[in-house]
Parts: sequence; structure tokens; C-alpha cells
Amino acid sequence: MRAIRIIAANTFREALRDKVLYLFLGFAVLLLASSKIFGILTVGDQDKIIKDLGLAGIQFFLMLIAVMMSVILVSREIDSKTIYYILAKPVRRWQFLLGKYVGLMSTVLVNLLLMTVILVLFVWLYGGGFDPWLFLATGMIGVEMAVLVAFAILFSVLTKPILGSIFTLAVFVAGHLSQDLWLLTRHLPGSVGRTLVSVLYYLVPNLERFNFKTEVVHQLPIPAAAIGWALVYGLVFSGFVLVLACLRFERKDLQ
Amino acid sequence: MKRVLLTLFVLVVLLAGTIGAERVLQQIERPDPLGRKLLYLPSPEILQLVSLGNSGLVADLFYLWSIQYYSKYQPHERFLYLDTVYDLITDLDPLYHDAYRVGALIIQLPTTDEEIHKKAVIRLFDKALRNMPSNHEIAEAAAWDMYIRYRDRIEALRYLKSAADIPGSPHRLKRFLTVWSEDGQEWSFENALSYWQEVRDEAETDYDRAVCEKQIYRLFASRDEELLNPMLQDWQARHGDCPDSWQILVDAGWLQEIPVDYFGRTYRILTEPCSAMAEDSVRFD
Repeated sequence: MRAIRIIAANTFREALRDKVLYLFLGFAVLLLASSKIFGILTVGDQDKIIKDLGLAGIQFFLMLIAVMMSVILVSREIDSKTIYYILAKPVRRWQFLLGKYVGLMSTVLVNLLLMTVILVLFVWLYGGGFDPWLFLATGMIGVEMAVLVAFAILFSVLTKPILGSIFTLAVFVAGHLSQDLWLLTRHLPGSVGRTLVSVLYYLVPNLERFNFKTEVVHQLPIPAAAIGWALVYGLVFSGFVLVLACLRFERKDLQ
Repeated sequence: MKRVLLTLFVLVVLLAGTIGAERVLQQIERPDPLGRKLLYLPSPEILQLVSLGNSGLVADLFYLWSIQYYSKYQPHERFLYLDTVYDLITDLDPLYHDAYRVGALIIQLPTTDEEIHKKAVIRLFDKALRNMPSNHEIAEAAAWDMYIRYRDRIEALRYLKSAADIPGSPHRLKRFLTVWSEDGQEWSFENALSYWQEVRDEAETDYDRAVCEKQIYRLFASRDEELLNPMLQDWQARHGDCPDSWQILVDAGWLQEIPVDYFGRTYRILTEPCSAMAEDSVRFD
């Protein structure tokens, strides 16, 4: 446990040195500029647009962190040979990988918290009042990112850095479209095709399960079960992908 | 050194050339009578897929774009595919209150093909009520638009009844429904004015107050257009053409002063058909 914590802290520090936290400043500037521009262009309630833009912006920036960091997460350690020093100590390979995951997730969550505070402030400033439900929507984006970062870790040990980024991005896109795979199963004629597509659907994460933006923006009731099961789904899926990543990393030739 | 200066000179000339060409292009008007920019709008299904879970944001962007697009073009071009565009926006975000309200307001602007536009407004309001059955504000706005803009008492009553039936709707709706429902009872200018002033005074947000001001503005504009249009048509019948300005009518003694709207702005004179036209935009700020 101590090993995981140390590697996580080191990964987090590395992310700070890489100026990843500056992304939240980019988000703040984007929100400030767009709020001013949309204020001029729109007719009606501006806070709805700020919420839509803010939530989409948070999702986009965090996805960028996951995709970009997957490039350097493990490969940098191998290239600089530091991984040999780490693994020469009483650190198991799975602990190393889990530490990387926790470190990257900490970076994502700190960014998420800062961006959410900025969004809540903006909504409040533009007359939308204090909306605590925004924390729920962004929290669920955090769960979505937990799944995505797990995939980033998996791809960082499976393939080359650039390909890892592309695959992580592909999971993000496919994850938001996977609902249609499920719909496809209803229209396929044979049972074999239907089974294959169903298997594919369960293997691709359905990231729309974590999407509560519409409900939060329009203040619609959200069933507690939908939140609870989405949390379970996200955590279990992340765990599954991380176990796969650890299994692969155990056998990976680091030469 | 000479080479560096020459390179810089070429760069400056090329840059100046692009700026010059762009400025010339800005001056060239390119009308879009067929609405070509609108012909290839993607379907809401495709946009929902592409938005990756952010269809609300895509609806916002289309909404902002639509306001800019329809305020930019000439009167004969600016109302093309209006109902299609607002249908798309409200498919992407079925709970987008402002899009229904503003979309209906823009569709109401044309003075030609009124029956077609009225049907489009009704379609949009009906969709709003299907998607937001507990929103009495939309139903109330629809009732007023039908009553004032299209003088359609039956549709106005239908919407007002919908609004009054919604649990938690303001009591005034039931009161005015009674007045409207009485056979032969006409909704006078004074009734309407007091109604909207009451709603404005009860409004809790600047936006709601602005909507009321808009309605009060339309009330005055409708009344004034009813008075001024026969006068303009009479002038045209006698003189062969529409007057260029109100000053001509004032000089001829037909009017005591230049007519102004609720906000003190002079009405415009349209030549085809010869009629008075209120400013078609009211700022909501």
C-alpha cells in the first residue's frame, strides 16, 4: 500500500511539473470569454448555456489529460530507465501500475474540483444562483474519467505511446456511442450476430451511463438508483480494465 | 541584409494583399435566397451522436447561430426553414424553453404567408407543451401570441386553457380564461394592457419582465398598425405610391405628429404592401 501511495504521489508531482494543472486556467479563460460572447449573442437565460458549455468543457479537458498522459505514463519511465530502479526495490509491477493510476486520477480529480468550483462561481455570477447539483454532474464525469484513465493505463502497457493515445480517444468516442450497439442488437436478424454485438456492447464501456448533464441543467429529478448503479458500473469496469493492465504488465518485457 | 529586407518586403506585400482581398470580399454581398447554408443541416440524430453526450451544448450553439443567421439576412431570405431549424434545436434539447419562445417569436415576424407561419408557430408550441407539460409559461405565451398576433381566438383559448389547467399555475390564468371564454366578449386593448402590466409587476426575473415589455410593445404596435395602415393605403390609392416618410403625412395634415412606438421609435413604412411596420426586434437587456 505504501509503495502505491509513493508512486501515486510521484506521478502527481510529475503531472504538476508538466503543467497539467494549467488546463484549469485554460478552462477558466474559455468560460470567461465564451460567457461574455454568448451574453452578447444570446436571447434569454445565459446560465443554461454557461452550464452546458462548462460541463462539456470539463469533460473535454479531463479527457485531454487522460489521453495525453497515457502517452508518457509508462513509456517515459522505460525510456529514462527509472522503472528499473523502482522495480529493483520491493515494489511489485501491479503496485507500480496501480500507483500510476491513482496518481493520474488524483491529477484528474484536482483539475475536476478546480474546474467545478470555477463553473459554479460563473453560474452564480451570471444570475443562475448557487447550483450544488453541478457537483453531481461533474462528479459523474469524474467516474467516467476513472474508466477512461484505466483504459489509458491499459493501452500504455499494451502498445506504443501514440497508439495508446489514439486508442484511449477511440474508447472515449465509442463509449459515448455504445448505446447504439445495444439498439443494433434489436434489429439484427440472426441470434449469432445479436450475441456477438451484445458481447461487444458489454466490452465497450457505456460512458453515457455517467452523463447527467441534461438532468442537472434542466433541474430534472434523478433516480438515486441511476447514480448508485452508475458508480458501481464505473468502479467495477475500471477495476476490470486495471486487472487486465496489471496482467499484461506482469509479463511485459521492459528491455 | 538586403536579402532579409527583400524577404520582409515580400511578406508585407503578401500580407497586405490578403488583407486587401478579404476587405474587398467583405463588401461583396452574396444573397442566399435558397437558404443554401440551411439546406445541409445535419439531422438531430447525427448531431446527437457527434456531440458525444453534449447535445444540450450543440442545441445552444445552433440556437445562438440561428439568432445571428436570421438577424443578418434580408427580409425575404431570413425566414427560410425557420421551423426546421427550431425543430432541430428542440430535438437536440427538448426542454429548451428559450428556443421554443424565441423561435416562435421569430416565426411570427413575417407579414406574408401568415397561415403557413401560424401553423409553424402552433407546431412549435404544441411540441413545447408535449415536452414540458408542466410549464404554464409556454402555454400562456402561446395563448397571447395566438390572440394578439394572429387574432385566433380558438387557438388562444386552447392554449390558455392548457396553461390554466396546469397545477400551480397563477390564478390570473383562470380569471382571464373566464373572460376570454364568454361568448362575444372581446379582449380589449385596456384589458390586455392591464394583464401584461400585472404579469410584468409579478415577474421575478429580468428576462420575464423583458418578455412582458415585448408583449406590451406588440399591443401598442398592433393597435397603431391598425390605425395607420388604412391611412397609408388610402394615401397610396390617392397618390399612386406609398409615402417615403411620415413627415409627408404630417405636412399634408393627415397626422398631427410622426407616430412612434411604445419605446419612442419611429415606425417604419413598408412599400410592398404599403403599411406601417414596428421594429422587429426588442432587446432583452
